Amino acid sequence: MHNARPQSTRLSTIIWLILLALTIATFSIGEAGMSGKNTMLMLLAITMIKSQMVANYLMALRQTKMIWRIIMLAYFVIVGGLIALAYLMGLS
Amino acid sequence: MCLNNVNLNNENSNSANFNLAELPTAQAMSGQQDLPGDFAIWIFIFAEMLVFGVLFVAYAFTRAHNVALFNASQLTLSLTSGTINTLVLITSSYLVVRGVAAIKQDLSKQCAYWLTGALLLGGVFICIKVLEFHAKFAADITMSTNAFYMFYLSLTFFHFMHVLMGMVILACIIIKAWRGGYSTQSHTGIETGASFWHMVDFLWIILFPLVYVIR
Amino acid sequence: MKYQSQAVAKLYFIAAIGLFLGQILFGLIMGLQYVVGDFLFPAIPFNVARMVHTNLLIVWLLFGFMGASYFLIPEESETELFSPKLAIITFWVFLAAGAITVLGYLLVPYASLAKWTGNDLLNTMGREFLEQPLPTKVGIVLVALSWLFNITMTMLKGRKTAISLVLTLGMLGLAVFFLFSFYNPVNLVKDKFYWWWVVHLWVEGVWELILGAMLAFVLIKVTGVDREVVEKWLYVIITMTLVTGIIGTGHHYYWIGTPAYWQWWGSVFSALEPIPFFMMTVFAFNMVNKRRREHPNKAAVLWALGTSVMAFLGAGVWGFLHTLAPVNYYAHGTQLTAAHGHLAFYGAYALVVLTMISYAMPIIRGRAANPERAQIMEMWSFWLMTVSIFFITLFLTGAGIVQIWLQRISATPMSFMAVQDQIAIFYWAREAAGLVFLIGLLLYITSFFVKGESRAFE
Repeated sequence: MHNARPQSTRLSTIIWLILLALTIATFSIGEAGMSGKNTMLMLLAITMIKSQMVANYLMALRQTKMIWRIIMLAYFVIVGGLIALAYLMGLS
Repeated sequence: MCLNNVNLNNENSNSANFNLAELPTAQAMSGQQDLPGDFAIWIFIFAEMLVFGVLFVAYAFTRAHNVALFNASQLTLSLTSGTINTLVLITSSYLVVRGVAAIKQDLSKQCAYWLTGALLLGGVFICIKVLEFHAKFAADITMSTNAFYMFYLSLTFFHFMHVLMGMVILACIIIKAWRGGYSTQSHTGIETGASFWHMVDFLWIILFPLVYVIR
Repeated sequence: MKYQSQAVAKLYFIAAIGLFLGQILFGLIMGLQYVVGDFLFPAIPFNVARMVHTNLLIVWLLFGFMGASYFLIPEESETELFSPKLAIITFWVFLAAGAITVLGYLLVPYASLAKWTGNDLLNTMGREFLEQPLPTKVGIVLVALSWLFNITMTMLKGRKTAISLVLTLGMLGLAVFFLFSFYNPVNLVKDKFYWWWVVHLWVEGVWELILGAMLAFVLIKVTGVDREVVEKWLYVIITMTLVTGIIGTGHHYYWIGTPAYWQWWGSVFSALEPIPFFMMTVFAFNMVNKRRREHPNKAAVLWALGTSVMAFLGAGVWGFLHTLAPVNYYAHGTQLTAAHGHLAFYGAYALVVLTMISYAMPIIRGRAANPERAQIMEMWSFWLMTVSIFFITLFLTGAGIVQIWLQRISATPMSFMAVQDQIAIFYWAREAAGLVFLIGLLLYITSFFVKGESRAFE
């Protein structure tokens, strides 16, 4: 079960650096004490990008059947969506 | 340890005689592949994701009813520790990717080095997390203190156990890789362990902003 | 039969079936007492009938597990049993202890029994399912240790397979967790807390390992599917079982004075307990569909598939019905619990023991499978018992729902006994279904005596 087209290590490195940068962005938002609906949506958007990068590039699901990527994306859409919904409920 | 035996010591079992869920086992003509590693680990991964997903959503909705309490309690967490731990896990995941890439080129020793790096970073995560837990327990905070701490301690402790589990799996594949037990053709065990470790990372990436940052 | 010593299983199986019959008879007595309160009073009061009904269940299942493992382990280990003599001695000790205990329940007032058996020395009696007098409890530990010793020694001198490993692990857990029956703190919350370590961690923890191992064994034998595939399934299933089952203990800790976080832990993890059961169903059908041989013992295949389905329904679905904390707030300790208990015990444990007996008994008696007519009768008994227990479950579920409504939700709640009068119709229906179950069981027993041309070994 070895990959026919192995992912280049350079791509992995780029993904890793992007993930680090996005983490720092999350940290900065938290450190600045930002809150509110837009901040929440921004944080969830960052988290979605990060989680899908992990799934597609680090877990290497990009090279597998579409269904697995859909599952990982759907997972985040459902969980993240419910988190957003609950947040909005908390605002009112 | 059963988990390791089943998932890691079946290098010769090809996917054709393993049909947990009637999955199409032959590789598609388009060059698309099956999930990396033993399919059994993916059953765990999806089950674990389900458990964490339920807990994440439960956290969010409980928070919706106690916004002020959650916001106040969240301030007592160390954002810096959480961030460092996120960086640590992401980096260790990256090292695992390099380890898998190494074994695909039949570089057993290099693979073992990369994975050992990941294992050590797992240790760093554990240490930082223990310090965080210690600080909370020293402040007499328990799962019964309030709803926020109940979720914070439950979620992070449950995740903590997965990090430990992942480290045990990594240790097993490192030893086998070091002894030359894997090769370009046969390294399902490494991909199995790698997939589990990435899941630990994946879940933390959601847990971190949810519990530490969003307010 | 590959190894002579496997024959000791026969004794255990006979005792198991005999005690099973006793359990059903006492079940019918107490079922009737639900509606005719003074039936057989004062000879057999309700509390005694209930105690005998539940204790016999546990004991016959233990006999079944022991017998099954004495058959299974030598075959898996490819060697004779370490000591068949020890197995036989253990059998008689266990049977005698069990018989004396049941006689004690029936003939002596419980308080006197407690006094005579040294309950003052170490207070362990008087708790549901753990009513056994101290000497019986000690006896159970000794029997379990002897069993474990015999099996472990057999395994050590022979081949070690995943199935025998999982089975032994399950038995070890069974022995270890029973030790908590000796711990009876004065604090009622602590008492209940650890009581569940025996009751829950048995049936929703370590017994499931025994169940999984036995089902896997029979499926390998009757389908001829690769051991490697079956073992991988077994590992996945038992890991899921342990993760969900151990933390799922929390679903007993909602309203007994334990910390509130158990409501979350218990709800989330026990809600996932059906998953391994569902996997077991998929596994069993998958293996049978992929079979590489047509085993002459059709009845055993039916029992095995029945186990996987009924375990999922009884333990998984009926357990899930009332496992979430907000639901359990209303459903706690109603007839809904009894419904779940009946289907889960029958589906998971009674059936897996009967599966093993169905597979092993003909072989012990020197043939690959029973005569056609005996098998048909056995299959009839399967359907009679399975359908009737399912109806018992449905009637009790109905009773439970009405009970919850009248007693706990309604704007004008009724008292417990007033509600019992309202649901009498369900109890009558349950009793009728129970009689059908008895007929099924008698048919099952008869099937052992049917003569005919039996299939020899291939």
